[in-house]
Amino acid sequence: MKAGIQTRLLITTTLVLGTSLSLAGVVLDRSFQASIVAGAEEQLRLVIYSLMGSVDEYGDEMRFNLDFPEPRLNQPESGLYAVVDSADGDQRWRSPSMITTGVEFPADGVALGAGEFRFESAQQGLVERFFLSYAVIWEDTEEALLTFRVGTDQAPFTSAIQGFRRNLYIGLGAVTALFVLAQYLAVRWGLIPLRTMAGEVREMEEGHREQLSDRYPSELHGLAQNLDRFVAHEQRSRARYRKAMEDLAHSLKTPLAVIRNALGEKAPAEPSLLADQLDRMESSVTYQLSRASATGPVVVGRIVNAATMVERLVRALQTAYSERAIDVVQDIPADLNVRGDERDLMEMLGNLLENAFKYTSSQVRIHGEHEEAVAIIIEDDGPGIEPELREQVLNRGTRADQVQSGQGIGLSVVAELVALYRGRLDIGASAMGGARIRLELPG
Amino acid sequence: MRILVVEDEQLLREQLADKLKSAGYVVDAARDGEEGLYFGQEYEYDAAIVDLGLPKIDGIDLIAQLRGEERRFPVLVLTARSNWQDKVEGLEAGADDYLTKPFQMEELLARLNALMRRAAGYASPVINEGALSVDTAKKEVRVEQSVVELTAYEYKVLEYLMLNPSRVVSKTELTDHLYEQDFDRDSNVIEVFVGRLRKKLDPLNPIRTVRGQGYRFNAEGSA
Repeated sequence: MKAGIQTRLLITTTLVLGTSLSLAGVVLDRSFQASIVAGAEEQLRLVIYSLMGSVDEYGDEMRFNLDFPEPRLNQPESGLYAVVDSADGDQRWRSPSMITTGVEFPADGVALGAGEFRFESAQQGLVERFFLSYAVIWEDTEEALLTFRVGTDQAPFTSAIQGFRRNLYIGLGAVTALFVLAQYLAVRWGLIPLRTMAGEVREMEEGHREQLSDRYPSELHGLAQNLDRFVAHEQRSRARYRKAMEDLAHSLKTPLAVIRNALGEKAPAEPSLLADQLDRMESSVTYQLSRASATGPVVVGRIVNAATMVERLVRALQTAYSERAIDVVQDIPADLNVRGDERDLMEMLGNLLENAFKYTSSQVRIHGEHEEAVAIIIEDDGPGIEPELREQVLNRGTRADQVQSGQGIGLSVVAELVALYRGRLDIGASAMGGARIRLELPG
Repeated sequence: MRILVVEDEQLLREQLADKLKSAGYVVDAARDGEEGLYFGQEYEYDAAIVDLGLPKIDGIDLIAQLRGEERRFPVLVLTARSNWQDKVEGLEAGADDYLTKPFQMEELLARLNALMRRAAGYASPVINEGALSVDTAKKEVRVEQSVVELTAYEYKVLEYLMLNPSRVVSKTELTDHLYEQDFDRDSNVIEVFVGRLRKKLDPLNPIRTVRGQGYRFNAEGSA
């Protein structure tokens, strides 16, 4: 089976929503990171500018104004470090914060020209740091190229980024979950009419309902109406077809009856030949018409209660066979239901029960059981059915006019119907001495 | 025995009537349900043969209406449709037996015979009343095991009285059930038949005359 509409919609939304929100997340994350790094660079630049502005003394030893605005440079391990290098690589000054830590400023690959900045990031041991270098021509006693270098630990920036990222992901995740949930609910709500329709169609199939209800939204209203119309049409044409078959039976059998009676009276030259041919015609008409008027398992079926039907047939047969005083034992669960056409079931049970009544010597036993399929077992204490006839009946290749009249014709009709219903017909011997027929139909 | 036949197919109706007449029955034939209903309401019958596919009033409705009007004679249903719905509905409407077309006349006669016997309360085709034994299938009468030769009308009188036991049967009723309508009702031919019958059945005396009313089958008289 293909994925359901709900699954399809949910998968699509989840995929689209997931992808777009992940993309948004990545973009937001990147730009935040970039702005944090830019901020760090700006901060370091400010430190360099204030360092340059607070040079007190230049000469053999550089001195800086002690109260310059970045107190962290005076605190050891504060995370902010600064050095001033001369052009020949000598260190002219380093900040007090560098006294105990092993901070190393990255060596210049390419010497910086005057007025140039270089911003870089480096891993030193376990600590990641940002560095900013600035070369400047210092004019005092003589002109000299000095490089101011400032470095800072990345930890505060990283934790800011991580904090942002965490909040971002939580937020995006929550939005995704909310959307998917909303979508799920919307789809469920939207699909309720379809579910209802599926349920009602199933009820129709099982025979609990004859047409769909009329409480469908506008989009499905047309479909529901068409379905109803289709079902009604199907039932009407089935009834018309059956009526035609019955009329055909009537118009064929009455002349046959007339011919047979005339044959009995006049005794023509070849009585046995004519009688034989008449027998064949009668068998064919009976068999083929019963076959043709069978409905078979229908899409829109009905539930037929087998117990009630057996009860009715037995009562009718007991009227017709009242003379024989046949003892009938019925043991059929009251809720034994068969899905299918009432007339078809009556045809099967009627023929089987009639045979039992006709051939039994005193007792007929009818037993019903319901496991996976519905089974009705009819037994009698008559002479039973010849194995040869059993074969003939159950072998569906046998032509109708080859089936002997009497018990054979009825049984052949039943076998045909049972095959149509994909059921099973077993003909065997009963412990009571006669025939045992097991009719099994899908429940 | 008067039989009502309701069958719309003319040929079959005629065949049925001929066959039944030659078997010794008095027959009224109706061509549709309406006519059948009229006959059924107007006359007393001993049995009816009703086709199910009838014009005007359907066979099932016809049976139901007759039964609704307390018409209790046995009804044999003829059906061309082999479907069980019709058979069951016919029997439920009040029919007593069914026969599917095409059928054998012998089968029809046997069924009819059995129905009338059943209606009179006899289970077997051979009715035994003491030393008197009547085989309704073979139309044979025995007294003390030896066959008594009866004419067709003598037999009919005896059979009718036996199938209507413990009831007084008037001469008019006997005439109605044993003869066609145009029979001369004033004649004393019934009395003649009964007289001959009594003589042939001697020493048994199963037929008692009820003065001014008619005859009555008397089981003790055959002991």
